[in-house]
Amino acid sequence: MPPPPLFFNPALFITELAFTLIAVIFCILIYFRTKGIYDLSKYKGIKYFRHAFLFLGLSYILRFLLSILMLSMMTLDLRPRMIMPFFILITGYFSTAGILYLVLSSVWKKVKALPLNIIIHGTALILSIAAFATRSHLILLYLQTALLVIAVILNIIMHKKLSRMRIIYYLIFFLWLINLWIIDRRRLPFEINIVFQLVSLIVFYFIYRKISKFTP
Amino acid sequence: MRKRDRLEVIFDILTIIRDRHNSIKPTPLLRTSNLSSSSFNEYYAEILKKGFIQEVIDKKGKKYLSLTDKGFTYLEKYTYILGFIREFEL
Repeated sequence: MPPPPLFFNPALFITELAFTLIAVIFCILIYFRTKGIYDLSKYKGIKYFRHAFLFLGLSYILRFLLSILMLSMMTLDLRPRMIMPFFILITGYFSTAGILYLVLSSVWKKVKALPLNIIIHGTALILSIAAFATRSHLILLYLQTALLVIAVILNIIMHKKLSRMRIIYYLIFFLWLINLWIIDRRRLPFEINIVFQLVSLIVFYFIYRKISKFTP
Repeated sequence: MRKRDRLEVIFDILTIIRDRHNSIKPTPLLRTSNLSSSSFNEYYAEILKKGFIQEVIDKKGKKYLSLTDKGFTYLEKYTYILGFIREFEL
């Protein structure tokens, strides 16, 4: 039996809100705690890393709003169909930019001859427009999954193996996809959703703890 | 010999200035930095622009270089910056 919709289940709503808040707080903390060392070094890898968490934080806020919007269509018959594609557009743009910044933060030296900012924002724009045109967050999910597969293959070609930190970066990417997939709450049991959200928070906490060692 | 990266070169230049009682003329700094003249000029302009060093003119009109507070902070935080870059493979 599927769980009751978000609006009619306070526990579900509070869980979703708490998850979003904690994830966004970690992303913001990571962004601001690394400001000092970036300002001093102006190192491109740190810039991409910070941008990744800024965009991911925004993506998780938008994901939450998107889930509310979707559920309001299902449960309250509100018909927010006009604004829904715009939310998908912005979520698609921010999340694609965020995960690309994260992936590129560890390989930028190998591809620094390329116009990386144009590639990141160009890809984000193409993917988000495709999702906007089809009015489906699932199209965005499929395109981002293809992006993840391409990124992992390219990484293996360039580095021959996946290091521990790169695995964590790809895990953040993968968890974003899962969190996007379970957005309408009908795909997996509530308990499984919670497990994925908990794992996401543990990964963010792990990154934050590591950063704290270098930003006293 | 291993090529020094940008952050390391800046660290080396600032360390030289600090170790010379925080006062050195540009020419001896160029000599001890192990950089070509054009590279040195590039780094010199960069660290001046970033506010890591300041130019001080003495009574005789001679130019000396000294570290600013930001320059000292860079030296202090350099190991953290390097550690961060290595740890996160950036």
